Amino acid sequence: MTYARRRGSGFVWLFLAPSLLVFALYRIIPLGWNAVLSVERWSPFRPASFAGLDHYEEMFFHDEVFWRSLWNTVVFMTSAPIAIALALGVALLVNAPIRGRALYRAAIFLSYPLMPVAVGIIWRWLYDEKVGLINYGLISAGLISRGIPFLESFEWAMLAVIVAAVWQILGFFMVILLAGLQSIPRELHEAAAIDGAGRAQRIGRITLPLLRPAIFLCLIIGIINSFTSFDLIYVMTRGGPNYATELLITYIYRAAFTLTRFDYAAALTVVLFVFLLALTWLANRASGGEAGAVEAAE
Amino acid sequence: MTSPASLLQSKVWRRFGAAASTTLIFLLAGTGPAEAQKKISLLTWNIPVYKEKIDGWIADFKQLHPDVQVEWLDKKGTEWATFYQTQVVGGAAPDIIDVQGALWLEYAANGGLVDLTPYLAREPQLRDWYNAKFLATWVYEGKQYLVPFYISKTLLFMNRTMMQEAGLTRPPKSFDEMLDYARKMTKGERSGFLTLNFDWLYWPLFAMNGVELLTHDGKRAAFNTPAAVKTVEALAKATADGVINKVSWTGRWVEPNGAFSSGTVGLYQAHAPAFFYVRGAGKWVNRDTLGIAQMPGGFSTPNSHGLGISKTSKYPDLAWEFIKLATNEKWAYTFGTTLNNLTGTKADTKILEHFKKEDPLAAEVLNTQLEGLDKLVGVWPQARDAQIKEAFYSELQAAVLGRKKPADALAEAERKVNRVLQQR
Repeated sequence: MTYARRRGSGFVWLFLAPSLLVFALYRIIPLGWNAVLSVERWSPFRPASFAGLDHYEEMFFHDEVFWRSLWNTVVFMTSAPIAIALALGVALLVNAPIRGRALYRAAIFLSYPLMPVAVGIIWRWLYDEKVGLINYGLISAGLISRGIPFLESFEWAMLAVIVAAVWQILGFFMVILLAGLQSIPRELHEAAAIDGAGRAQRIGRITLPLLRPAIFLCLIIGIINSFTSFDLIYVMTRGGPNYATELLITYIYRAAFTLTRFDYAAALTVVLFVFLLALTWLANRASGGEAGAVEAAE
Repeated sequence: MTSPASLLQSKVWRRFGAAASTTLIFLLAGTGPAEAQKKISLLTWNIPVYKEKIDGWIADFKQLHPDVQVEWLDKKGTEWATFYQTQVVGGAAPDIIDVQGALWLEYAANGGLVDLTPYLAREPQLRDWYNAKFLATWVYEGKQYLVPFYISKTLLFMNRTMMQEAGLTRPPKSFDEMLDYARKMTKGERSGFLTLNFDWLYWPLFAMNGVELLTHDGKRAAFNTPAAVKTVEALAKATADGVINKVSWTGRWVEPNGAFSSGTVGLYQAHAPAFFYVRGAGKWVNRDTLGIAQMPGGFSTPNSHGLGISKTSKYPDLAWEFIKLATNEKWAYTFGTTLNNLTGTKADTKILEHFKKEDPLAAEVLNTQLEGLDKLVGVWPQARDAQIKEAFYSELQAAVLGRKKPADALAEAERKVNRVLQQR
């Protein structure tokens, strides 16, 4: 390595050092401590003792709530493709030369900057069995005779929270996809139209393939979002009824702060971490193994 | 010759040096100006509205202990446990805690709280000041960990208008009669019965059917009996028929109160504080329309607040002095009459007199809180109370909401509870 290159590399590390230090303090060290905690018996009130893999054994072989919350997390992840499909439709609409499209874009984006807690409260009221707007609308339309307790019902609760999650993220995905749409050269569509391609063919053969990076980005954000949607679930259902909407992330909280089982919660966190790591690896593979790579300038 | 500028500079440096040396000396001696004063902290449970009076406690305490600083923290119920536990981990646990329900058990069982038995033994008159029945609900392995701050237990509220319309004139006397009453009052949007269910507040429903949660030694589950299966079957059927309002099984507080205050529920099992919420929200509530009774069999579950001291407190004696002050006659009476509660102390007699004059309906409700104290249920001193509760309730909820057969749910609950009891 030449002196200049070594010097350049030194500078890179020098500039990275503060960020790496913060990253280590707030991410790496807690992660390590969490891994240690997961093989211990520990509570805030007593010293730790070695537990080996007891927590993992309990989790995999005796804890049906763990499996249910893991399954629910996977189900909740479907909010990402649903939101992307809807956002794509909306993006195509507001990308068209229609009057007042800036207003539509702003209106659809508005849900995104809202705090998840506020979104949860809004949707809780909308779903209310007695005074909720949704039940009022359904009863008024003659579709049902009695209000549906959406958030207290096993059948509806998960769907209800997915709808709320989709509603919140829709605007954000729309903006990403809209930016992607606007970066597609118009000439490609014009040339395809001259060659006789219909609208559907142009979307299928030009728009979607060229939108792939934007869709991929949305998918990753959506999946990560579904793993960390604590606030929304906690406010709307607290994981109920009877764990019907319990996600891994809300179960970790419940284990730590309701059941005072920080050690078990740490083991659950390790599993969540491994699961996320696997998903990230898969996503990276799907994108050709170069996701996040940056070419260094010579 | 020294120039004025360099003279000024040397003065500045000298002052800086003096200040730095003083700070260093204080730091080395561990007695900085701020540390010369002792400090205790108090963590309360969602009573920010009581700030003015808590400032009064602190002012009174400062008169007795001018060298002690008191810091007051308050957290909402949903945040309290999270906050306290993180403070314990961080080594900054508040000295005095106001804790609700059975949370204290986990802390006490793991050595997180100071044993107050010697303090009470030193002052027998103080021990008598507290209500013995409530005091007994905070004993773990023979040691007293909390003293009453304010107390509550469950009772049965009755919508008399709905009862009259159904031809019912007196409170129900048994579980079956209660469900029969509820069925008679159920019509359209109206449901006959509703219960709060967080902690063990629903346990009177089992107790009145002779069901015990655990064996006498507390080592095995004892609830999987034919009587329990019959009880859960009845609850599940009533829930499916709309006789029991489904909100009963959500574990919430505001929504059940809201449902009863809307005037569409006949019978409501809740603790006394629910009355004040219901009356505030329901215009129909008055002495003619609201009936008050004990649950059939006289069973009730307490849901009180106690004051205790964290084991990590540097000044447990001062913390105890503060607790004594906060629960003395003056402040107990002030608390009861300001926040509409009984305090589990001898001041309750005077508090009840106040309510009889000022608010007779509230007095009727509060009076039930001191009756039937020999039939308090749902207060088993188990270190893993939260886990047992979760194991049992998750299965009960599945059964009453029709997801599982009651017999299967109870068998599964038994397996889970026994597993929790056997954990190290």
